[in-house]
Amino acid sequence: MTIQINKSLIGKEYPPYAVTVERGKIKEFARAIGDANPLYLDDRVGAASEWGDVIAPPTFAITLRDENADTAAFLRELGTDISRILHGEQEFEIFRPIQPGQTYLCRAKVVDIYEKTGRSGPMAFVVRETTIADGSNEIVATVRGVTVVRL
Amino acid sequence: MKYARVYFDDLEVGDELPPLVKGPIQQIQLTRYAGASGDFNPIHQDDEFARAAGMGGVFAHGMLSMGFVGQAVTDWSGAGTVRKLGVRFAALVRLKDVVTCRGRVVGKSSKVDLNLVELEVWAENQRAEKIVTGRATVALPSRS
Repeated sequence: MTIQINKSLIGKEYPPYAVTVERGKIKEFARAIGDANPLYLDDRVGAASEWGDVIAPPTFAITLRDENADTAAFLRELGTDISRILHGEQEFEIFRPIQPGQTYLCRAKVVDIYEKTGRSGPMAFVVRETTIADGSNEIVATVRGVTVVRL
Repeated sequence: MKYARVYFDDLEVGDELPPLVKGPIQQIQLTRYAGASGDFNPIHQDDEFARAAGMGGVFAHGMLSMGFVGQAVTDWSGAGTVRKLGVRFAALVRLKDVVTCRGRVVGKSSKVDLNLVELEVWAENQRAEKIVTGRATVALPSRS
């Protein structure tokens, strides 16, 4: 039984949300990957670096979620649920590393939804993009993800 | 020698990154990654849920493998040098899998104050099946 994906979400922009990055979250994230780079973990190394503090690993921006957003509700609106989704692709463009104590403003958007039939049957691809701006409204990163829905 | 400085001038197209071997993947690492990333999809934690979803059991977050690939790049190029990292998740990583991340230089370009190196990056499991394929761009210092 196949399901119907709600393509009217294409172009939908979500309310901007702010995230303040905690020092401990950067370290927890690096350690969860098993990456012991001192520029992520050691405050003294960070302070002595060109960045003036520790920085986050390149994929850390994935953690900047909207605490008030309901993932289950998004999936319902899309016409699916968590048991059918897979991560297809992910891209980070980084203009400046994310750093602790900074508050970032994130803007998320559904940029495309398309369907294709692959080896394992019909699938929908949901492309979302989030731009992350710092306190002076400079964009520090753009995050693009493709979620695959098994139809 | 880990975290040795890499200079733009010293690189040539075809140069390979030192491989980074991660794993064997254990459930505790997936639980830890869930907590650190905020991705609590039960498909990575609950074997029964993952089987009922038709996935044949739990598998690792794609983002964990991407984190490994990011580490392979920054272990070589330095933390803070990554300008772009993009991947496609090609196959699932299961418990006990060993993930080896690799990369090679595919291009170099210089603008005013910026020396960019393009990399092809990928990760494979213990059966040499690609689990992640992608590209990265790093900004590197020049000797001059």
